[in-house]
Amino acid sequence: MTLVLKGVMQSPVTPLKPDFSPDYDTFERLVDFHVRTGATAISWPHHKAESHNLTIAERKALAEVAIKAVAKRVPISIHVSALALEDTFDLARHAQANGADAIIAITPYFWKYPPEAIYDYFVKLGTSFDLPLIAYNSPSYLDGIEFTGELTARLIQRLPNFIGMKEASFNSEKYFEILRAALPLRANFAMIAGVEYLLPSISLGGAGSYSSAGAICPNLCVELYEACASGQWDRARAAQYKLSQLWLLFRDQYPSSLKGGCVIMGRPVGPTRPPLPTASPERIKFIERRLGELGILDTEPHGW
Amino acid sequence: MTFKFGLVHAPLTPFANGRIDYATYGKLLDFHIAQGAEALALPMHAGESVSLTAVERQELFAFAIRHVAGRVPVIAHVSEAGTAIAASLAAHAKTAGAAALIASVPYYWTPPQHMLVEHFTAIGTAGGLPFFILNTPTEMAGVEFASKSVVELVGKLPNFAGLIDTSLDWQYMIEVVTVARAEKPDFQFVSGTEYMISASAIGATGLLSPLASLAPVLVRKLYGACRAENYTVARPLQEDAAILFRLMRDAGVPGLKAGAAAQGRDCGDPRPPLMTWRDGSGLQASMAQARSLAAEPRGWA
Repeated sequence: MTLVLKGVMQSPVTPLKPDFSPDYDTFERLVDFHVRTGATAISWPHHKAESHNLTIAERKALAEVAIKAVAKRVPISIHVSALALEDTFDLARHAQANGADAIIAITPYFWKYPPEAIYDYFVKLGTSFDLPLIAYNSPSYLDGIEFTGELTARLIQRLPNFIGMKEASFNSEKYFEILRAALPLRANFAMIAGVEYLLPSISLGGAGSYSSAGAICPNLCVELYEACASGQWDRARAAQYKLSQLWLLFRDQYPSSLKGGCVIMGRPVGPTRPPLPTASPERIKFIERRLGELGILDTEPHGW
Repeated sequence: MTFKFGLVHAPLTPFANGRIDYATYGKLLDFHIAQGAEALALPMHAGESVSLTAVERQELFAFAIRHVAGRVPVIAHVSEAGTAIAASLAAHAKTAGAAALIASVPYYWTPPQHMLVEHFTAIGTAGGLPFFILNTPTEMAGVEFASKSVVELVGKLPNFAGLIDTSLDWQYMIEVVTVARAEKPDFQFVSGTEYMISASAIGATGLLSPLASLAPVLVRKLYGACRAENYTVARPLQEDAAILFRLMRDAGVPGLKAGAAAQGRDCGDPRPPLMTWRDGSGLQASMAQARSLAAEPRGWA
């Protein structure tokens, strides 16, 4: 229970074969690539890993591959959110039994419910397992369902294993309300920004981020975190502006464009499952041009 | 055209018997200047601009220019629903001696982006002064001045000097700074709220502060620490600013006026349809959660 998260954490995409089946070998290689290129932790399967498009059996099998590939070099958390909460608990049990270091879960999908339901859900999740628990706040994707500072504080007081939050509102007020409620109660509570929005979050007291573009430009991710952590704000701004341009490039049809970019970087990870599109050859050409303009092709590793 | 935004206060507008109380307004402007405002912007929404007639806005602005008498620059807020009306306010403000202009997207209408560009082009051209756009989607039915429109307007309007943001949206803020500065390196980015740390880290060089009516010392320290990029020093200040911000976001101008009165600066009641804040002691107790408030100046000193 002494897991302290910080830095640029990577959440790998899920490599697929041309027939859309999981590509276990490439997945192992990708996880290893992230660990070798500076990931301070691994977390899988976030939405960019097409979590919703995988069966529960596939998620378990791939989680085992990820845990083995990380091989204790950095902590690994398993994202257990599923549409049905029965599946969520099943995935969490599996994660714990197979050696994950933590679980991460978003507020439940689709339904509208009061804050008390969020509290009950996370208490049940946090007390059912011994693993450290990371909550995931994403109000814009879940139509306003969100953590407040007060709710976060109550959960910290209730759950000794509640160690951090992925806060993906991209909003100064929402982020800071949770942070200033949490840190006085748990000094090591990790406020983790979504994507690489490290400049506006580390300056507020945040711990790091779950990366979007780490499979494309791990060097730039590390550069941004180090500049922020050492207070070199001019350097940080230059890196943040560039990474934000990349996010705009990948946000469109996420993660299809990201997977398209991996082709350019010599680390192909296959197609994207419907209803998400697979990046077309034209789209890949466009991504290649943008990566060239942003200098990524000259500064980042090519191939595995 | 080198107007630098800096720390700008947005004063309240005092009323007595339903009319602008100029005697109090003069004292209030002196107070803001004494408390370190590098410029004044008026009448902003905190100054009930929307509830003033066109004639009142012109008189109020002319009074402020005379009273301030060059001690600090005075910026005119000229937001209106109609393009020609806003443009006429802008032209008047220039003649009256404004140092710069601020305008938001038009009230009520929710025009598409190309009409926003036309609206701002007309205002900026009529005003001919350094022109700042106030992006405040939460007050404007979600209408945002999109980053691609910012770039378009930079190309069209040479006196478009910068953008003031209250969206607090990191994706938007970083995108605007990145694309606008690629076209115009001295494009200014200004925080329109006291959430200054993130804005400053992203590249904001100015702050337009309504909370300076309540806590000018806090605002000045927070602004100073952020401009020096000492965010460790800024963080506890940011916490107090966040407490006051959330309180006043919910309480609105009635709350700001009640808060200012509690600090010894009675600026009268807000104009209808805004209602007078009834629970002054409850508001004071909530404000006191921002502990630095105790060290703020009381009265007009």
